[in-house]
Parts: sequence; structure tokens; C-alpha cells
Amino acid sequence: MTCDDVRPRLTAYLDGELEGDRGTVVRGHLRTCAACRQVATDEATLRDGMRALPTVDPPAAMWASIQAQLAIAEVEESKRPSWRRALSRWTPMLPRFAVGGLAAAAAVTVLWWRSHREPVQISQVVDHPSPEIQASRDIPTATPSSPPFGAPSFDDVTADLAAEPARTTATYAETATELVTLAAEVRPGWTDEQRATFDARVAELRAAVDRATDERPRQRAWRAMIRYLQQAIVRDDVALASGGVH
Amino acid sequence: MNELAEPIGSPLTGPLAGPLAEPRPRIAAALTDDNELIAACRRGEARAMERLYHQYKRRVFGMAHRIVGASDAEEVAQEVFVRIFRALANFRGDSALSTWIYRLTVNASLSHLAKRGRRHEVGDDGLTDLPAPPPAERDSALASRIEAALAVLPPGYRAILVLHDVEGLSHEECAAILECRVGTCKSQLHKARARMRDLLGDSLRGPGDAR
Ligand SMILES: [Zn+2]
Repeated sequence: MTCDDVRPRLTAYLDGELEGDRGTVVRGHLRTCAACRQVATDEATLRDGMRALPTVDPPAAMWASIQAQLAIAEVEESKRPSWRRALSRWTPMLPRFAVGGLAAAAAVTVLWWRSHREPVQISQVVDHPSPEIQASRDIPTATPSSPPFGAPSFDDVTADLAAEPARTTATYAETATELVTLAAEVRPGWTDEQRATFDARVAELRAAVDRATDERPRQRAWRAMIRYLQQAIVRDDVALASGGVH
Repeated sequence: MNELAEPIGSPLTGPLAGPLAEPRPRIAAALTDDNELIAACRRGEARAMERLYHQYKRRVFGMAHRIVGASDAEEVAQEVFVRIFRALANFRGDSALSTWIYRLTVNASLSHLAKRGRRHEVGDDGLTDLPAPPPAERDSALASRIEAALAVLPPGYRAILVLHDVEGLSHEECAAILECRVGTCKSQLHKARARMRDLLGDSLRGPGDAR
């Protein structure tokens, strides 16, 4: 067996996948060939090093963010007035709202919101997965500077995902608007100071949305806004005292 | 294998001598009844959803982290979980729940990279500038070099290495996740490791191993 025969089998050999004679033959070659032995040693070190990489823990707040996004999605899906029911599923502490008598406050806030609102910018640029990813099955090895992508095709989900950013941004904007309306209903229960804090913080978050020049940052800004609105609506005293967790 | 008449210190008494290290434990015992968990999640039971989240958060986040990088990992992992919960109604159980979740994770990560484009990718040259670490710190230094090399690898290679070598999934699982043949999976792993060896060069060798 030559080096050229052995090299392609080293990975399988090292991973214990060569049975019987096939393994013995490789092992026999490694005993006599220093070059292949070095390659095998390197690969084994690499393999063990990768297996030993530390696990990375997600941020503690990730679950809360996911719940918030799910809430947004549900709000968007459900038609009014059922969206409120959907929201309450995700924010179980949501107080019962006294619906009557608050129309005036709601109108004021909605007017304020409209005056700040610009048409939601839908990005025209819907990215598509790079051709490299779409045509990626078993491309033969190229030069080192342009390595083969070499993975199976992923276009099933990517095509679906590609259309999503613009849709998502629009959804966020609608959700935030609805939450502002909802906030207006609970607003009379706040102190003057809390109202001032709320207004200042919402203005700040709104400005961040306006500042965002790209789809992803804009979505992040919307999410921050929505998180804050949700906190405020469930009478999170921290949110109303300090402007919320950022 | 130890009966091999190799001189002491030969690589054959080292990592080459034995079978693979134990794979990482599979997702723990909590997976006993995926179907029940899925059904509860579909009903929107908060506790079940949280349980599913905690069962998979490390692996989903870890995979995303190593495929898209630290700065975007949370965004991708969140996207994955939102998709999981929203799509659970359509999960038909053709594959294991874990396979389906990891497939969503890999696809979302690769899709994210494709959208992000290549602007964040650094050239291979970045690696050669790293100074050789002192021997005592070799293990952690090797880990960080491996992470650095992974980051410059083509995304498809990154995916197979993360699934098979980092997460310790079998070729059959990897093939199911990547929706390819087992043979493809194996050959991709071989090529990906070869590329990693090229990138890492001497840093894979301790002071005593260098030839
Ligand atoms: Zn050889």
C-alpha cells in the first residue's frame, strides 16, 4: 500500500471505522511511513482538540427574548381582538384591562405614535444564499485560496428564510403599534413620573429604530422597543422606573 | 493494539493507538418521550416549551456559535427556537426531534452566513501571524487556534466538523441533519479535517512531536 492509498483512509482509520484487514493494512503502513504517521498524529490531535472544545452557554436572557418573539408572531397571526388573548398567553401577569373609559388616553397615544411613524421601510434587497451554497454538492478540491464549499445543498430552508427579513420588520412595526395602544389603556394607572419615564424611553427606542440603516439592526431596535413595551404593559416597575432592561 | 513493537514516544502509542474517545453523551434522558413533549408544546404549554428549550439550548447555541461566530450566535439561535416552536405543528416525526432541530440550526446558520456575505471573513493569513504558544498553555492555545481555524473554513466544512467532531454526532446523524448520504458526510469530514490541518500546521504538534 502506498501513501496515496493510505491518506484518503486515514480519517476512517482514526475514527475506528476500518474493519479487519483494512485497518491492519493502514496500521502497517503507518509503522513504516513517518510522513503518513505525522499526518495521522496531526489529525488525531485535531480531532481530540475539537472534541475537547468547551461548550458555549447561551446568554441567560435568551429564553425571554424567544418568548417575546413568539409573542410577536402570535400577535401578528391572530386577528383582533384575539391578539390580546395571544399576548396574555406569553405574559401571564398581564392585568385585566378596564376597557371602558380609556378611549381618550388611547387616542392620544395613538396620535402621538402616528405622528412619529413613518412608512415601514421594506428592504428591496432580499438576499439569496450564495451560489456557492446552492451548488455545493461534492465540488472537487480547488486551489487552497478558493476552497470547495463541499456540503450538501441547503436551499430548502434558505429560500424560505431569504424572504423573511422584510416581512419580519413589518410585523415588528405592527406589533409595536398595537402594544403602544395597549400601553395607552394601562397608562392612567401610572404615576406622572412613570409616564414621563415611559415616554422618554419609547422616544429613545423609536429614535433607534429610525437610525437603523439596515434590516437586521432595525429589527433589533424593534425588538428592544417591543420588549420594553411588554415590560411596561405588565407593570414592570423596573421598566417604568428606569427605562427598562436594555 | 499495545502489542505493537513501537519505540516509546511513537505516535502509535499516543492518539493513534486506541479507538475513538467516548462520544459526548447524547441529549440526556429527558428525551424519553419526545412525542409527549411535542404535543404539550403544540398546545402552547409554557412549561413544556421551556423544557424543550433547556434541553436543546446548549447545542443549538453552540452549533450556531461555531458556524456563524460569537457576535451573531444569539440572533441565529433565537431565530431557530422561534422557528422550532412555530413549526412544531408541522413536525411529522419523520426524523428524530433532535435531528430536525439540528437541521434547522445548521440551515439557519448557513443561511445567515450567506446573507451576511463574506465581509466578515478573514483570510487564512490571519492565522500565520499568531505567535507560537508556550508549552504549558498548549491545550487552551490549541483550542483557541482550532476555533480561529474553524472560523475561516468554508461554512460547509465548518458544519460537518461542528456536528461530527465537536458535538460528537455519528455519521448517520450528520447525514440525516445535512440531508446527504453517509458516504458524502465521511468524505466531507476527511476534506474538512485536511483543511484544518493545513490551517493549523505546526500548532498541532507539541514541542516533542516536531520532526
Ligand atoms: Zn505513507
